[in-house]
Order: sequence, then structure tokens, then C-alpha cells
Amino acid sequence: MSKDVFTFLVGGKAGEGVKKAGSVAAHIFSSIGRHVFQLDDYMSLIRGGHNFSMVSTSTRWISSHYMKANLVVNFDKRSYETHINDIAENGIMVYNSDEIDNVDGIGIPLSSEAEKYPMKELMYGVGAVAVLSSAIGFNKLQMNEIIREQYPGGIEDNIKFADNLYKMVKESCENKFPLERGDKERKILTGNESISLGAITGGLNVYYGYPMTPASSILHFLADQSQNFGLAVVHPESELAVINLGIGSTFAGAKTMVGTSGGGFALMVEGYSLAGMTEAPVLIILSQRPGPATGVPTYTEQADLSFALTAGHGDFLRIVASPGTVEEAFYLTAEMLDLVWKFQTPGILLTEKHLSESAMTVEIDPSEAEWTEAKLHQNGKYNRYLDTNDGISPMLFPPSNEVIKWNSYEHNEFGITTEDAKLIAKMHEKRNKKVAALINYLKDKKTVNIIRGEHPTNIFSYGSTYMSVLEALKYGKINPTTIQPIYLSPLPIWELEEFKNQNNIVVEQSVSGQFTKLLTEKAGIKVRTTIKKYDGRPFDPIELSQQIKEEID
Amino acid sequence: MGFDTNAEMTWCPGCGNFGIRTAFQNAILELEKKGANREDFIISAGIGCHAKMFDYVNLSGIYGLHGRNSSNAEGVKIANPDLKVVTFSGDGNGLGEGLAHTIFAAKRNQDITLVLHNNNVYALTTGQFSPLTSQGWKGPSTPRGSFETPFNAISLMIEVGATFVARSYSGDIKHLTEIFVKAIEHKGFSFIEVLQPAMPYHKWEEYKDKIEYLEKQPESKEEAYRVAKSAHRFTIGVFYQDSKEPYHKSLYGSLNPVNDSLSKEKRIEKVNVILKP
Repeated sequence: MSKDVFTFLVGGKAGEGVKKAGSVAAHIFSSIGRHVFQLDDYMSLIRGGHNFSMVSTSTRWISSHYMKANLVVNFDKRSYETHINDIAENGIMVYNSDEIDNVDGIGIPLSSEAEKYPMKELMYGVGAVAVLSSAIGFNKLQMNEIIREQYPGGIEDNIKFADNLYKMVKESCENKFPLERGDKERKILTGNESISLGAITGGLNVYYGYPMTPASSILHFLADQSQNFGLAVVHPESELAVINLGIGSTFAGAKTMVGTSGGGFALMVEGYSLAGMTEAPVLIILSQRPGPATGVPTYTEQADLSFALTAGHGDFLRIVASPGTVEEAFYLTAEMLDLVWKFQTPGILLTEKHLSESAMTVEIDPSEAEWTEAKLHQNGKYNRYLDTNDGISPMLFPPSNEVIKWNSYEHNEFGITTEDAKLIAKMHEKRNKKVAALINYLKDKKTVNIIRGEHPTNIFSYGSTYMSVLEALKYGKINPTTIQPIYLSPLPIWELEEFKNQNNIVVEQSVSGQFTKLLTEKAGIKVRTTIKKYDGRPFDPIELSQQIKEEID
Repeated sequence: MGFDTNAEMTWCPGCGNFGIRTAFQNAILELEKKGANREDFIISAGIGCHAKMFDYVNLSGIYGLHGRNSSNAEGVKIANPDLKVVTFSGDGNGLGEGLAHTIFAAKRNQDITLVLHNNNVYALTTGQFSPLTSQGWKGPSTPRGSFETPFNAISLMIEVGATFVARSYSGDIKHLTEIFVKAIEHKGFSFIEVLQPAMPYHKWEEYKDKIEYLEKQPESKEEAYRVAKSAHRFTIGVFYQDSKEPYHKSLYGSLNPVNDSLSKEKRIEKVNVILKP
């Protein structure tokens, strides 16, 4: 366990407030100026099962949870058994002695204490916060302030219960892990909140989404914020509807985003192609979970990359980009919204459960975000599909005296259906000109994050795996060069040229190595080895640093 | 401004679609007389013979995918509720591939008009049976005759929440024009089933003799449903009309998401509030 990192793990059944306890822990750490990374591991069920939340904190920037925790609080027997090996050296395991006894650790009668209160199931989380408060040396006043703020329902009971537990663990836990204060308090955001706020800042007007983990929380967050920002946020009958509603709204001039996971995107593919043909600027958030089919709904993977890059029948310009951190997700979403409007084509912001639903302390300046702007028709006779030097036709929105026709059939410049050979070829070429225009545009933009290291090895990763890699390198005190392409289509090969024949390692979450294949085939990168993980869980920095060390030593 | 475009006409001579186009254009002219603006009318269409309306009527809109046209129309309306949106559909397009979208547009009482060109057949794809085709139809996909019971589009739409439900006939331009005007003026989801022959498969005579006019508009939803179930399928008229808040009003009140879009500065200010630790 890294000495500069403290990790808190809380585990229990769904419905016992595990995630909330994790969020409160994260809040406590950030309130004393520390950086935080919170991972929530939960099953696809409503009650029961086993959920846990891991919160790692440091006075420096931290980009992953650690699977070895200094303090573990378990609400039930299953949690105890699951996490018995997740305790760091000199760590403390606090367990529910009403469920299991005569085991290593500190037993507290959590259930029988909670029984005394009417809101029994909600007390577990409060108990976990009390244990944590004691362990990090918070006094009762500090603890009570947090409880009051974070558990406002039944405050009196909550404080009484917390006080009681605080006393119980005094001897065994008090001030075992005094935490150094950090430099300043920061906002904690999940990836999906960051994506939503980035879209809003970039000019979002309309959002459509059909519930699907791990994208649903974008729908929930935006629905909650719809009145604040004057948005239309709709949950329609299917993803087929979602994408076609989205295209309709862009026709009316609304900056429109939709969100889903792999299976939902599969349903959107027909409409994705329609957006390519009609040149509709729809931004799709595709948050990956393990597939194929229903796969593992609440876990993480990176196996929809190839699908995202090639989805949709026919030739058309596709933009795919993937944020490496929660902060980058904010700016990249705004940038992608702008890009799909500038180039009038659909785009995908590709992410994963691990970024979507993990929370981090962030520093974001919304005034740095891109503002969505399209090329607009000025005056005179309007042709929706006017052939121009860069293939981008000026846009016009209803109501207008000029007629605006968007057409799914091949069409002439005005937008009327055609089967004329010359016109078919001409319109293909018109749309295809946008590919070169986009590449030219992106050459002046940041399309890849490169951190140069002293070790003569390069580590390629994309999406949330980049956060795992950075933390693993910090933990292992190794410093190869890291390369994270932000854009995956078009892949910024102009930035990758120098690495082609160097000592390259890829880290990704796909059994077939889809990212490795992309780098090899598109950029000619020679890859020595790929470190893969495909069990639904994100990389643990300790394990990953060992794997990287084995490969580069 | 005329309605004609330079598109090549490819409907069969005598096709029922001509009557639908004429009545729709007449309705727009009539609505303009009542103060509507031409540029506020937006059309969308699916794929099929019905959908060629898009190429043949010079109005703004989206020529979408098979079955997805009402979603396109709903998307336009949600983004800018000031627009008057009419979506054209075939019987296969709207009740086969696009059934869920048709039903949900009605369920939401989305303030759009859906025109179902009912020619009882998949005409453009050479005559297969549609969701409204009577049992026994011998098409290329049902050589021994179709054996599925057809939907009753009118009772179906009353049941799922449409607030204006009518049937008309492309051979009676006056009746159809009146229905179009009423449907577009109606605030909420309007559904019009238009009976029309498709020339390779039907004759006008099969319709002319059978058309009956609904004697009086039913007064309650229950009565409308009963009449729709018991009426002859060539019975035309308004079966049901009710007033109910349209979807966009319930969703965001008097907001217009496009016209009232917040400025960049306002957004930054509000996002900064959320980003405070």
C-alpha cells in the first residue's frame, strides 16, 4: 500500500446505504483538502447481494481506487468474507458481530444497535461514517457536523447512533490513521456528471436516453437539471426512438445528445447511419460495460471500441473520442458537441462504467470549454446539401422562407431524392471531403495526451484505463512514457509517428485486444505486448504496476 | 409560393396518393387563410409509396427511415414547439416497423399529426400483406393467403391515447381537406387513417361503393371505441376528439428549448455554482 494513500472500504447489501457511505467518506476527505477517487462496485439487483464502495485519498492527485484498504467496514457476513484479503498491511477490519463472530478484526454489534432505531437499514451507513471519523481522528463535533449535513433524515437518531458507535470503536480505532490536510477543497464529480455538465456548458438543449447502465445516470442528472438550464430531457420508448428523436431535434436547431451502453447503441445503429446521410449532428454517449449481449450490466470493459469505430451501414464520417479522466470528460464532451455541429455528422463519446460511475475530485473551469457553433447559411437561395470546398454545407433551421430538406435517400444538393449516377458519386465525394477537413482541423487540436518519461518504454492506453495506468506508475515509481489517444476516429496518426518502432506496451480491457489492433492497423505501431483485463473489474494500481514492471524490467 | 418541386413523379397514374397530396396542400392553404405561416409547417415521412410526399411537396422536413418518421417528427416538435409538424406514414411503415413509435407518440399526446396512408398493402416492395391487410391476401410473402387478423387502426389509436382520431378517403378531397384542417388545428396527437387504393393491387370501384360517412361524432371515449370496433372499415369521419394537455406543455411548460436556449455566459455562471465544492 502506498504510504501517501489512505483507502476506506465499506461493504454490505444493496439497500443498506453502502454507496452513500462511500460518498460521505469522499466528502470528508475532500473537505480537508485531499484528492479523492471513489469506485462503487454493485450488482444488478435492488435489494440484497453484495455492494461495496472504495474510496482512496491522497494529498496529491489520485486517479484510482486501491484494492488494499486501510480501513474496512463490513455490514454483513458476506462482505467480511469477500474482503478478508483486501486489507492493507496494518489495516483494520471492522465487522458486524451480529452476523459473524470469532474472526480477526474488530466486531461491533451493528445489527442489534441499528434495531433500536425505526430507520434501521439507514443506520449502517451512519455507523460506517462514525467508525471512519474515529479512525481518522475527527472529534465528535466534526463527525456530527458531517452526519447532520449528509444524513438529514432523522438527525437526532443518526447522531445518537453515531455517538454510540464512535464510543464503541474508541479503543480499537481512534486516530489510527490521522490524515494530513491537503491544499484545498475540491468538487467531487462522477464521470457521468462531468459529461452532463460539459454538454450543458457546450450548449446542450435536448437529451434523450432509454435507461441502461452505466449511462442512465446521465439521463437522471440532466432530467434533474432540466428546469435549471431550460433543457428538454426525455426518456422515450426505445433506443430506436432515442436516435430518431435526436435527429429530429437537430433538424430544428437543438444541440442534442443521447446516451446508452453497447446493447442500446446496437439499436441506434440504423439511426446512426441516418445521421451520417442527413448530416445530422447528434452526439452519442456510449458507456461500455462487459458484453456481448446483456453481459455484465454494472461492471466495466472496453470491448465496444471496434463496434463504435465501424457502426452504421454505408460510408460516412464518424467521430469517436474517449476521455481519460473525469476532468477531461467535461471538456471533451463540450468539444465533441462542437465538432459534430462543425462537421455535421454523428459522433460518439466512448467511455466505460469505470469512468461514468466513479467519482473524483476535480478542478474544472467551464469558461475553458468549447462553445458549439455551426456554419450557418447567410442569405439567398438555400440548398441543404450545397457542395463546398470542405464538404460542409451551411445550416439553416425552421421556420424559414427557404425550404430545408434533410433526406435519408441519396439526394441532390437541395435535398430531393435521386438515383442519378453522377449525383450519387458527387454527393459521396461531398460527404467524404469532410474526412480530410476534420483531420486538418484536429491537427491544431490536442488529440493525444503524451507524458514523456525516462524509461525507454511507451505505455499506450485509452479511456478510463489511462487513469489506472497513471496511478500504477505512481505506485510502482516507474516512469515510462504514457500515450493516451483522445481521438480514436480519426486516430491522430500524425502524433503517433515517432513511436512506431519503439518499445510499446498496451494496457486495455478487452480479451481480443481491440485497442492494440487499432494502433497496429491504423498507426502502424509495433506492440510488444498487451496487458489485458476482462473480468469486469477495473485495474488495481498495485497489480498493474507489478504487471508493467514484469514487462519492462 | 407553390407546392411543386422538381422531383420526378413516380406514383402510378391514378394512385390514391395524389388525392392525399391535393387535400394536404388545400388544408395548408386554408390554414394560411386562418393566419398560419407556411414556414411553420414541417413534414416527415418514412419509407414507402406514401413517403414520396416528401419529394413532391415543397415544405421543409425530414425524409427518415422506414417506420421512424414519427420519432423524427416528435424530435422536431420537442426542440421547437412553435412548429406545426405533420408526419406521413404507410400502413406497413407506421403499424409494422414503426408500431411502437406510433403508439408512443399517441400515448404522449405529442402535438403532431400522423397521416396513415392505408393502401392495405406493401406497395413499393411488390405487394406483401400489411398489418391492415384483410385475411386471405395472396402476396409474394403469403402465397397461400395471409392468415393474420389485421389491426383496427382507429380503435387501436383511441385505446392508446390519441386525442384526435379520424378516417378519411383519398377519393373525397373535400372531406379529407376538412379532416386535415381539423387534425392540424387540434392541440395534441392527431391520427388520420386515409383509405387509398394502390393501382397495381386495387381498383377505385372497390372503394367508391363501400365508403360510408359516420353519422355523428361519438361523444365519449367509450362510445368512440365501440363505434370504431363495430363500424365498417370503409366508414369515414371523426371518431374521437378530446382536449388534453399536449406533451411538450407537460414537459417544459411555455419553454421553447431552441428559442430560449441559455447564453454561454449564463451557462458558465450556473455550472460554476454546481462546481462549487
